[in-house]
Amino acid sequence: MLTGLIMSLRLLPRRILAFVIRDFRLYVSYRMQFFLRILSVLTVVTILFFMSKIFSGFTDPRFAQWQDPLPSWITGLAVLNYFTTGFQSLANSIRQEQMQGTLESVLLTPINLPTVIVASSAWDFLETTFFSFLYIFFGRVIFNVHYRGSFLLAVAFLLLTTLVLACLGILSASFTMVFKRGDPFGVFLGVGSALFSGVFFPTELLREYAGPKLGFISFLLPATYGLDGIRQVLIQGHGLSQAKRPLITLLILLAILLPFSLWVFGRAVRKAKREGSLIQY
Amino acid sequence: MSVAQAKNPPSKERDSEVAIRVSDLSKTYPVPFARIRALVRRNSKKPVKALSNVSLSINKGEIFGLIGRNGAGKTTLTKIIATLVQPTAGSVSVLGYDSVRKDEAVRRLIGLATAEERSFYWRLSAIQNLMFFARLHGMSGRSAKNRINELFELLELHEVARRRFGELSTGNKQRLAVARALLPNPPVLLLDEPTRSLDPLAAARMRELIQFLSHRQAVSILFTSHNLSEVESLCARVAIISRGRIRGIDSPANLRMLTQNTERVRILLRSVPLAQLHGALMHLGMDFSFEEESERVSLSLTRQPEDDSLDAVLKTLNQLNATVLDIETERATLLDLLTQYEKE
Repeated sequence: MLTGLIMSLRLLPRRILAFVIRDFRLYVSYRMQFFLRILSVLTVVTILFFMSKIFSGFTDPRFAQWQDPLPSWITGLAVLNYFTTGFQSLANSIRQEQMQGTLESVLLTPINLPTVIVASSAWDFLETTFFSFLYIFFGRVIFNVHYRGSFLLAVAFLLLTTLVLACLGILSASFTMVFKRGDPFGVFLGVGSALFSGVFFPTELLREYAGPKLGFISFLLPATYGLDGIRQVLIQGHGLSQAKRPLITLLILLAILLPFSLWVFGRAVRKAKREGSLIQY
Repeated sequence: MSVAQAKNPPSKERDSEVAIRVSDLSKTYPVPFARIRALVRRNSKKPVKALSNVSLSINKGEIFGLIGRNGAGKTTLTKIIATLVQPTAGSVSVLGYDSVRKDEAVRRLIGLATAEERSFYWRLSAIQNLMFFARLHGMSGRSAKNRINELFELLELHEVARRRFGELSTGNKQRLAVARALLPNPPVLLLDEPTRSLDPLAAARMRELIQFLSHRQAVSILFTSHNLSEVESLCARVAIISRGRIRGIDSPANLRMLTQNTERVRILLRSVPLAQLHGALMHLGMDFSFEEESERVSLSLTRQPEDDSLDAVLKTLNQLNATVLDIETERATLLDLLTQYEKE
């Protein structure tokens, strides 16, 4: 058992590399999409720059992170991009493999489920890292957006939040494995994160205008804590001690969701094997 | 490496001659969410019983044939052995490892080649596809490249190595599936119709390869095919599966005897008048039928295989100075047997 575990860990980088190379090759086999996506990031940042000029000098002093909305929007979009990958990537890749018919041949090789989970999403995270970086890069180089806080702490928050969302992504992939379509996590997190997590406006405004019940939804979304933490350290220049509320909440969520989601995914694969539906979609 | 570790199974079957043991295996495909469906619809789907109490064993180095009609249960059995489908009851062990509890170890020991074209990445080249699967098997870049080169040589795929999978001919796609199955040098191979789309020459070479793997490298092979003559020529033993049940397991010759234990012999003669022939054969006490075409006579008899009646007939013909032009024997085929089981 222990030998098997050590061997799996030893082979993990090689197997992740296999998935990354495969997905990279599939990605570059459609060359045009890469350049169009770069162009779309540049366009979005440009639009946000001009929109931010409307609000110059009119922002509410209560919202410390939003004095200049451009850095907040850029951070929000870059991070949302990452979070979306976290909860959609695995379900998408499982669904794609089911549709292509390749899931069986992947599961026929001696790799374990955690490896499939990590490796299937690896390329998506690399790609997202690049495009999230582009938001920040264009903001800084073209529109002179500067952050005064620690990038290292922001990355730590980013990784932690992405892990929590990846757990929800594993649950989402479990739905895909069994139900093939109609995954409630994807819908809830996809629409919910953009509206309720404070990507484009402070979550306090939601409570103020939509009432405490609707505003409460933002407390349920891990992305809210992630974005709050990242903005606290990056824009407000806070340290870990000042940003401990989102940090502790994310750690608790991770401790609960990680074992639970792995257990559910294992059950979903067994169910698909019982029904013989691994390559059905 | 991983294969070496898996070659040391913990169970008592380590030293046994059995490579695959299937015991009382049953598989019923459940209807997903059956209770909810039953509430909504009156005529809801029924569970599909794909296998029923299947038991068989395949020895190390043996080529074991599995024949049956479409939907008989061949693919389900193959997929259960390959750990892709879980059985409802019974068990499968591969070189001592249980296919459900030790599925990862089983996957290190088997290679599966199916005729399913969708199991590859169509926008990647043949070599890129195999590199991906080789890495999943834990091979390093260099050893993967060497192994893939060997396999491309063996299966004559070098010319198409850099072409996209989607651009390959059906035959080459099938050969690539066999190459993928052979990547980790597995001691057990599951081949699902490996010659289905191959031209006659390529099919013959594939059969040679299968025999080479079995005889020289002691690879145990489960071979399913609809080409019955191919199964007869390759397999030491054959199982006939019909409606999820094994109807017989034996050598092809013995299986044929199950349906009809006699053979019909037709002898074509020249230089002997029919009346003289009729009179001379009367004393042998057998039933003959005769047909006369110009100067030739066709004589037919039914006998038990390898009894001495043919010898007695030939001696009588020799005494008559008859010229024997041709002898044909006609025995029951595996097709007769399959037809008989399907009628039952």
